[in-house]
Amino acid sequence: MLDFFTIFSKGGLVLWCFQGVSDSCTGPVNALIRSVLLQERGGNNSFTHEALTLKYKLDNQFELVFVVGFQKILTLTYVDKLIDDVHRLFRDKYRTEIQQQSALSLLNGTFDFQNDFLRLLREAEESSKIRAPTTMKKFEDSEKAKKPVRSMIETRGEKPKEKAKNKKNKGAKKEVKFLLTGFDVPLTASKAAPAEKSVGADNGVELSKEELIRRKREEFIQKHGKAADKSSKSSKSDAPKEKGKKAPRVWALGGCANKEDLDYSAPTTNGAPEVAPPEDINLIRGTGPGGQLQDLDCSSSDDEGAAQNPTKPSAAKGTLGGMFGMLKGLVGSKSLSREDMESVLDKMRDHLIAKNVAADIAVQLCESVANKLEGKVMGTFSTVTSTVKQALQESLVQILQPQRRVDMLRDIMDAQRHQRPYVVTFCGVNGVGKSTNLAKISFWLLENGFSVLIAACDTFRAGAVEQLRTHTRRLSALHPPESHGGRTMVQLFEKGYGKDAAGIAMEAIAFARNQGFDVVLVDTAGRMQDNAPLMTALAKLITVNTPDLVLFVGEALVGNEAVDQLVKFNRALADHSMAQTPRLIDGIVLTKFDTIDDKVGAAISMTYITSKPIVFVGTGQTYCDLRSLNAKAVVAALMKA
Amino acid sequence: MASADSRRMGNDGGGAGGAFQPYLDSLRQELQQRDPTLVSVVVALLAVLLTLVIWKFIRSRRSSQRAVLLVGLCDSGKTLLFVRLLTGLYRDTQTSITDSSALYRVNNSRGSNLTLIDLPGHESLRLQFLERFKASARAVVFVVDSAAFQREVKDVAEFLYQVLIDSMSLKNAPSFLIVCNKQDITMAKSAKLIQQQLEKELNTLRVTRSAAPSTLDSSSAAPAQLGKKGKEFEFSQLPLKVEFVECSAKGGRGDASSADIQDLEKWLAKIA
Repeated sequence: MLDFFTIFSKGGLVLWCFQGVSDSCTGPVNALIRSVLLQERGGNNSFTHEALTLKYKLDNQFELVFVVGFQKILTLTYVDKLIDDVHRLFRDKYRTEIQQQSALSLLNGTFDFQNDFLRLLREAEESSKIRAPTTMKKFEDSEKAKKPVRSMIETRGEKPKEKAKNKKNKGAKKEVKFLLTGFDVPLTASKAAPAEKSVGADNGVELSKEELIRRKREEFIQKHGKAADKSSKSSKSDAPKEKGKKAPRVWALGGCANKEDLDYSAPTTNGAPEVAPPEDINLIRGTGPGGQLQDLDCSSSDDEGAAQNPTKPSAAKGTLGGMFGMLKGLVGSKSLSREDMESVLDKMRDHLIAKNVAADIAVQLCESVANKLEGKVMGTFSTVTSTVKQALQESLVQILQPQRRVDMLRDIMDAQRHQRPYVVTFCGVNGVGKSTNLAKISFWLLENGFSVLIAACDTFRAGAVEQLRTHTRRLSALHPPESHGGRTMVQLFEKGYGKDAAGIAMEAIAFARNQGFDVVLVDTAGRMQDNAPLMTALAKLITVNTPDLVLFVGEALVGNEAVDQLVKFNRALADHSMAQTPRLIDGIVLTKFDTIDDKVGAAISMTYITSKPIVFVGTGQTYCDLRSLNAKAVVAALMKA
Repeated sequence: MASADSRRMGNDGGGAGGAFQPYLDSLRQELQQRDPTLVSVVVALLAVLLTLVIWKFIRSRRSSQRAVLLVGLCDSGKTLLFVRLLTGLYRDTQTSITDSSALYRVNNSRGSNLTLIDLPGHESLRLQFLERFKASARAVVFVVDSAAFQREVKDVAEFLYQVLIDSMSLKNAPSFLIVCNKQDITMAKSAKLIQQQLEKELNTLRVTRSAAPSTLDSSSAAPAQLGKKGKEFEFSQLPLKVEFVECSAKGGRGDASSADIQDLEKWLAKIA
């Protein structure tokens, strides 16, 4: 039933392949590698690609990947077990070839695994069939047949009597009652012949049943430790009072007790001054100056010192252990298991969350790192913590690397050659800094000699158009037409308030094409991701005008909200688009980066969710505060303790 | 090593922390007083440490500068080239996730060895691996997919720009070879055409890349300039030696046949 099964090394060499169908398996496997393993979504081990489901398993010790593919509509239960068995067999059979560092042994080795694999596949398929279909139980074997009919009949009269009995029997539950009544006269004793069904039984059988009942009752009592004893075999059980716990309150004179009887407090504790034992006084007072409040010592060196101190002894221990570890390495090295990594990963997850990474993403990242490291053999000079930290750092850098080229100027030059303007749309929620960053980006473009048309498609917010007009005026003053050969470098296109944003954008682009502007920057109104009509309007703007770049502006202060915003924006854009491949968010502008010190987790959350690059970073409120992302610096700030 | 040694000596002297000089004096006194066993122990330790230091130095020296890196975009044929150079056989390959390295015996008169390292080409991994291995690189082989070149020219140029900038910043610049792979496909571009297109592309790239907004930590140095300012970019302007070669890793007649990689082998023999 399997479509294919491949075993390949992490370096890319296919060691062995089984193909059930004639289609090549490289396409789906490449898609698996690219979307799961390289984007650090390796938490669960299955992946769907077109019509196939792919399940995979990593062997981190020998750097191998095992992938099995089968049709999505089938649900094969034996696949996980099959992968594990194949993994074990392959590893044991070819241990010498796969163990070496050089790739030559992998290339020269012949992996003749076909017969073994077919045998395992046959075994797995048979084991999934071998369980015979379960036959239904007969009535005699069921639990219901063992209960007496009387216990299941509910009549009105019995209930109040039972309630009275329950009041006396403190703590006895009703279920106990029913169970106890159930042991009364079972329809069929488990030891008796199964065919017997009659309620009334012979004397001889009754006696043995009595014994059975009594024996079971005693067991029951012992188990629950309650003094519930039955006097007769009637259904009403006389549950006696519980002994010992609390003596029943006797109300003198028919209910009026006086204060002294009810006063349970110890005579000496109220009113008398409490004298604390002398040795506690110093503990209570503590050390430090009494009356004055000291200044808060704000230096961050304290934190670093505290962090360094635990790491330094461990580093010293590490080097000392490392020197003996060289000898230990000759004997045998330790491979990482989930339990070893558990505590370190928990700590890392909490650290990431403290650095403002969204909670789900931190969990998924740690899962993926655990998957990547499980079974790996540690080097001699490394501890578990350092290995996990290293792996986490690498995966974070991997996430922040752009998946596509990030070079706006190059694309603008391309558009210039085709004599059409390059259109950039800014979208985002309210108050993240769209208009400010639009002004910064137009300043940057002007500095590089491109002419910019700003389209004011925010027709809702009061003062939005005036704000952009002020920016245009200031930028014009910086780049007057005289210094650029009489050409207006920056201009505002606006149609006032209350109009349709998509229409204004279309007119702006046509105007830019006529006048020969190089770039059109479209500013939209801020909107919440849950606001369906506004999201529809934004999707319509983007679908109708097909901009070259759709930039999502998000602030670095956002925490778990980032995930929600991006998911909903992308979904809205995908839902309302008519095209086969809808235009989604192409890039992210991360703003207000100067307000966070090193809690830079929002960058990770945003790139992880969309897998689109961060194109610009806004670090202030003047025109020059525009930067591009440096993945290593951000990850260093994130991993810093 | 020296500090561990002195720490151990200080512990022998019976103290912890404090100034170094009193311990030296006390040690000298003790050495004069005690029997030769202490002196011999100290000398033996020094000798062992010295040999360790020298051995590590020699090993690091020997392993550096013997590596040839195979870099390029995803799907350009690096892993297959790697396999062909080492064994001459054909193997199926997948997208690489980590690097693979092996010792390659060059067929020249000296029979010297090179370490071939095949780096993954995926966008999220390639810069990290390049960073890790560039220090030990003696030569860099940049593999280009000649058939898909027209579509990917901007991405190829961007990565090539990155690799060139990194190589130029090393102290001993490695030799560079740009291999135009997949020549067995009929639509493949020739090496000359690829060279011209890359030069044009890199010409515009160096302007746009230097005009990009600076990175977050402004402490990093300004990006180096490729070629000469004012003149059109040409590969001959670089301080590195850049050559172009055509090859086909898959071979003309399908999987089983031999590959057409003679030019590449000759170049490797030359630089070894």
